[in-house]
This record gives sequence, structure tokens and C-alpha cells, in this order.
Amino acid sequence: MKEEVLRMDRITYREQGVTELNHFCLDINAGEIMGLIPINDTGLAALIRLLRQNLPLHYGYVYYRGKLVNQWQGSDNRFNRIGVIESRSGLADDLTVADNVFVLRQGFKKRIIRRKVLNRQLEPFLRETGVELSADTCARDLSAFPRFITELVKAVVAGCRLIVLMEPASVISDTRLESLQRILRHYASEGFSFLYVSRHYEEARQICNRAAVMVNGQIAKVVNTADTPPETLQCFGVEAYTQLVRRQGGPRPAGAETIPALELKGVGRGHIRSLDIAVAPGECVVLQDLNNHILNDLIDLLSGREKPGTGTLRVGGRAFRPSLKREVAIIQQQPAQTMLFPDLSYMDNLCFTMDHRLPTIWRRRAAQAGVRRELEGVLAEGVFDCPVEALTKPEKYELIYTRVLLQHPRVAVCVQPFMGADVQQRMQIWSLIERLLKKGVSVLILAVNLADSLSLADRLVRVRDGRVQEVIAREDFSSLPASAPWHDFWTNTEDAPASGGETPAE
Amino acid sequence: MKQKKRYLSHVVFGFALAQMVLAVLLAAGCALASREGAWPMMVSIVIALEIGLACVFYLWVIRPYRRHERMLGLFLEGYSLSSLDSSDAGLSPESERLIQYVKGELDANRLLKLSKRQAQYRALQNQINPHFLYNTLESIRSEALVAGLNSVADMTEALAVFFRYTISKVENLVTVEEELQNCDTYFRIQQYRFGPRLKLNIVCSPEDKDEIYRCRIPKLTLQPILENGIIHGTEFKIGAGKLTVKLERTEKLLNILVSDDGVGMDEASLAALNEKLDQSGRAFQEDKEEHAGGVALVNVNNRIHLLFGEEYGLHVFSIPMAGTDVRITLPMITSNREILQSEVLP
Repeated sequence: MKEEVLRMDRITYREQGVTELNHFCLDINAGEIMGLIPINDTGLAALIRLLRQNLPLHYGYVYYRGKLVNQWQGSDNRFNRIGVIESRSGLADDLTVADNVFVLRQGFKKRIIRRKVLNRQLEPFLRETGVELSADTCARDLSAFPRFITELVKAVVAGCRLIVLMEPASVISDTRLESLQRILRHYASEGFSFLYVSRHYEEARQICNRAAVMVNGQIAKVVNTADTPPETLQCFGVEAYTQLVRRQGGPRPAGAETIPALELKGVGRGHIRSLDIAVAPGECVVLQDLNNHILNDLIDLLSGREKPGTGTLRVGGRAFRPSLKREVAIIQQQPAQTMLFPDLSYMDNLCFTMDHRLPTIWRRRAAQAGVRRELEGVLAEGVFDCPVEALTKPEKYELIYTRVLLQHPRVAVCVQPFMGADVQQRMQIWSLIERLLKKGVSVLILAVNLADSLSLADRLVRVRDGRVQEVIAREDFSSLPASAPWHDFWTNTEDAPASGGETPAE
Repeated sequence: MKQKKRYLSHVVFGFALAQMVLAVLLAAGCALASREGAWPMMVSIVIALEIGLACVFYLWVIRPYRRHERMLGLFLEGYSLSSLDSSDAGLSPESERLIQYVKGELDANRLLKLSKRQAQYRALQNQINPHFLYNTLESIRSEALVAGLNSVADMTEALAVFFRYTISKVENLVTVEEELQNCDTYFRIQQYRFGPRLKLNIVCSPEDKDEIYRCRIPKLTLQPILENGIIHGTEFKIGAGKLTVKLERTEKLLNILVSDDGVGMDEASLAALNEKLDQSGRAFQEDKEEHAGGVALVNVNNRIHLLFGEEYGLHVFSIPMAGTDVRITLPMITSNREILQSEVLP
């Protein structure tokens, strides 16, 4: 007999007149790790809100641990004991691990906090996870994996029988992900249930018993990961994506220029220890940080905020010096939220980094008009007169990547470009990066998890503890673990793009 | 025991009266206060009374009125029949009588009978005298056996068993075992048409099997869904088709998942079908045509709603070219005594 932990039955949920969840059905049993694969973002945030709190429903019933907690005839707005671990930290930065786990817990009423007692109480939980973590560590100093574990232990201690994990692979590296999965399996065997949200079916398949495919706020299908082939998801654009890569993603011909566009030789700074990487002109290199330690340091170096402590950093054969030439462009993660200036016009946002190429761009209206004329056929219709805030997400991405294209750097550094993107967005980002590469811009993708990066990469550089651990060339991608996204693509010789693949029409 | 209803019209009248009394008290209090010099105390008392009355007004009038309005709105959208008088407050005795009249018109027993008959008609597709039908089928079977046509004899026998279950067995509730046997019979008949390209698989955990098979469910719950799976899913599919009936139980629920690996349906069709299932009340109100899509599913869903309540019923999951799953949620009932709405049983 199965024990039901959560049942969301025929939920229709609206926020400000917009239907977020539509006839939504999801059930999770005790001790189950249930996957949730959102094909697009519609309703995902609303689902999390609804799990946390019993908000008024348009229709449907929510049962948690066998009790009806929310129904369309009346909602009490109470909070449910359901833990949610997101990619951004949910811990109080200035408190220690033990304080976060115990003191912030609902119902903790002690006036005098005895640190030793808390640490002693936390010890068995940490031992259970097998993670070496000091109870006295300040939450601010935790990297992604220990932070995830702390939040997990916090949820367990708080008595949450259901814990939602939001895209852990976007912040945790492959090897750490395996440890996390081992811990989840351990807690699942003790009766805890998990809702594991992941954009990649391959990832969900590794850990989940079942996976629910969510599209436009409804569960289209619940698939049994043990016996269902991945073709189930092909109709949601995944097949189109694969075809796009197959058609356009052939190996890039080596350019005449032999000087590396970007070269790091024995570079050390912060967590980086003697890092050696070279990116050839027009090449796409994926740097996977297996510990998730060095990305921030690397961004600081490449943006010119910091200088290398040891070693040399060269761009186009010359020592890197941030200058008006803007030879390195950095595209931050989730750039639609971080790289646009809502108070500036579309044209201002577009031309923001091109004055080194066209010094008159701000003085002469004719120059801007010329840029506009050039791009009118390339960019979506009507976007030039649209306020930046009112643009759709794909239009925002188009704007950012076109800005980088106009900047024409030697190297574009993309930080986790596919993070949090649905299939359609991933296809667009893929095409935009491919466009940069076709224009001769070298691309360095900084990633914690490979996600879709492998579909673009010429080389994969795996970094552990600040040093290069291994370099894998495109033809050897099939040797990667089967859990890696796009692994099937590279293993299947029919799928892999042939040498000298078609050049797409621009 | 049924709770006595509070009528908003009475409450509003009472509230107006209280305001008048308060006004009189205020006037008297003012006169007294001007003599005694107790203005601050007087003002405090009046403010406290007004706040109290405002709270009462919100709790007894505004909130029930909003709830009532929402119920009516949802009923008109077709969501629920039971929501009509579920509120503990009504507008007025007259409006309450009107609601009771509407409820009477949509009487559950009558709907159940209509619904059941509709299912039988759907299964039969025409009206044939049952005994005449059984006798004819027996005669055909005998003739087939004499002629050595064993497959015809078997097919005729399966057809007779199927019709006997569909027409002659009059109970509303049957055991899961009986219902699965009927599915098996129906499937045997279909296999004569589709041959080995059609397969049925019944999955049930061995430790729960006895209890699940004893569980009572509405008659003709599974067969129409299976039929739907064959007609809409597998029939249009090239190659072999597999249908699976998976039975699971929790402490209170029986979950049945009927899956096919057929052509599935697109997102819009799926949403429309699930909407039709959720808005079960509308199917009765509008007297939908038989040929409108998903009638069999709506029919089964309505009967489950009427027998067990709206918390139970059907939900459909589907992806184009990856099959359709129909999930049936029912209460775990092993005897008639456990059924709350016993009046709907024969």
C-alpha cells in the first residue's frame, strides 16, 4: 500500500486573472523522488507558491500528508511544512550552519542559545549525509553544495516530509550532484519525499522514480523513468532542437590566425591555482568547474576587475588590459535580468558597447539611424520603439547578444548561458551563440553543469580545485558519463553532426 | 444534523437596527456626557462599538456574500452541483427556496439513472431485447460449434457474456474483479478485430491485489475508458498497441490508471477534455449531444461524482504520439456500508 504525501488534484489556479496552473494534477508518495520537467516556465513559480502556502484556488483540491489542506471552496492561507531549496540561498548569511538549521526553525523558543548543544545536535544529521561540514561555518562562506546540504538538513529537521529541489544541477557540479543524489536516496529510504525540478530529462532519469512533464501550467504526462524511452519528450521541441544542432552544429573550420584569442598561462587568483587554457579564434570552449569555486574569480579576471596574482592572461597575444577596445565581452547568467538598462531606450541598450568601433554613435543621430537600418531585417519587427521592460524574454536575449555582436570582441565569455531556460529559450540561446561563433568571435562558456553546452563545444575543459583536470576534444565527447546532457547525441554517430556540416543561412 | 442557515437579509436588517439603537444610545450618552464631563469615555465606547459592528458586518455579511457569489459564479461555469447550498449563509429565504428548486431539478438520483442508461445505450449502440439477444447469440454459438467454427463460437460466447454484464447486472457498484473480467471479455471481442497487434496488461501489486480486487467501484467504469483507448488511441496507430490497467491503493484511495501507447492528443485537446471533466455540472445542464468528444469519459466521471463526491473522478494525461493515460481516483470501499451517499445505491 502506498502512502500519499502530496496530491494536487485538478488544480486551476489564477493570479491577477492569468491562469497559472490549468487542471494541474500531481501526486507524490512517501519515499518517492518525483521528477518535474518544466517544458516552459508557465506556472512553475506559482506551483512553488502554492506548495508553500494554501492560496485561494479557482478549482481543485490539495492534500498534504493525507489531509485536505486547500480546496476551491475555501483557503486558509496557512503555510505548509514543505521545504523548497532554490538555486539562490535561502539561508541567513550571517548565521552559522547550526543556527540556520535550528534557531530559524518554526517553534524554536529558547531564549539562550547554547552553541555547543546545537552543534552536538547537528552532528548526527551531518554524519548521515556523509558531508564534511562544520556546524560553526558561516552560511556566507558556504559554496553551492554545502549550502544545498545545509538547506536539506534544515528542511529535514523542520519536519518537512516533502522537499522541493529547484534545478540543483544549475549550481552543483556533476560529481557533487552524484553525492546529492546519494543523500536524497538515503532520505527517501527513510520516508522523505522529493520533488526534483530539472530541465533535462537525462538528469531526472538518474534519480527519479517517475517524472511529470509540465507544459503551460498543466501536467501533460507522468512518465516512468525506468521504462520510458526519452522519445516521449520529443514533441516539445526537443527533437527540433536536436535537429537544429545536427543541421547547423558541424565542426568549425580552423581559422588562419594562430594566435589564441584568449590565453591563460599558470594563472592564479583567489581559488584559481595555476590555470592553463587557450581559446583559438572562432573556437568554443566550455570550462566546467567541478567544484563551483573559481567562476567568480575568473569573471573578475576576465572583466578586468582583478589582475592575475600569478601567471599571464593574454588576449589576442597581448597582455590583457581592460581598455576601450572591449576585447572581452561577458554575458552574465540570466542576462535578461542583469544586463539591460530599463531607463535607456532600445537603441541605447543596443549601442551601449560599440563606441570604440563607431565613435560618433552618441553624437550623430545618423550613425544610430544607420545601425537601426542595418539591423531592421535581423531583429524582430517593432522592437526599436518598444520600452526595454516591455520586451519579451526572447527579444531581450536577442538584444543582448546583438549588442555583443556589435561590440565585436575577440572573446565572449558566457556564464551559464542555459541556466533556467526552457526548451524554446535554449534553442534561441544556442542559435545566438552559434551566430557569434560564425562571426569569428571566440566563445568561452563557464559552466558548473554541462546542460546544453556540449551541443556547442569544440573542447571541454574540466577544472577541479582551480586546476585543469582534463581536456576532452569534441570527437571524444562520447566518453563522458551517460548522465551528461547530449551524451546520446554524441554517442549516436548518426546524430552527431558530420564534418563540414551545412552552413546555415544567416 | 443539518446546520441552520443564516440569511444575509436578516443580518443586514439586524445590523441596521443595531445602528439605530447605537444612534439613540449615542444621543443619550452625549447628553449625559455633557452633564458629567465624560466625553473621552463616551467617544471610546462609541468607537469600540462601531469597530465591533464593522467586524460583525464583515464576518456575517461581506464574507458570506462573497462566498455565495463565488459559488454561484462557479456553478454557472459548470463546476459543481453540490456547491449550490454548501454555504452556511443564504441571501434570503426566497433565494434559498429558488436554489433548492434548482437542486431538485438536478436531482442526483435522476441524473445517475439517466447517466447509467446513457452508458448502457452507448455500450449497446441500439435497443435490442436482451433475452432475444442472448438466445440468438446462444443459437449462433451452437451452430458454430456444430460446424466446427470454434473461433466464432468463442466470439459469440464473449459477446453474450459482455451483454449480460452490461444490461442484466443492475447494481451501481461492482467489485474491481468483476469489472476487470468484463474488460477482459470486451478485450477478447476486440482482439478478433485487431488480432495480436492489440495487447492488454493488468498491473497490480501482489500484496494489495486481494483488497483491490474486492474494492467496489461503479459498474462500467473501466470498459468505456478501455474502449476509448482502443478507438482514439490504438486504432489510428501503425503497429502493435498496448493497453495497460494499473491498480494501486493508498489508505483511503483506489487509483486506477488506464494507459494506451497510441497517438495521444495535443495540449489544447487535452486541456479542453480535462476542462470538460472538471465542469461536470455543465454536461447535465446543457444536455450535450452524444457525438461531442469524450462523452464516455464525462459519463463515467459524472457517475463517480454523483456516487462519491467531487473529490473523486477522472483526469487525463497525454502527449502527442506518446499515448494517453486516464487516471481514475475512487474511494477505497469494500462494502456498501462505507458509502456515504447510500441513497444513490439501489
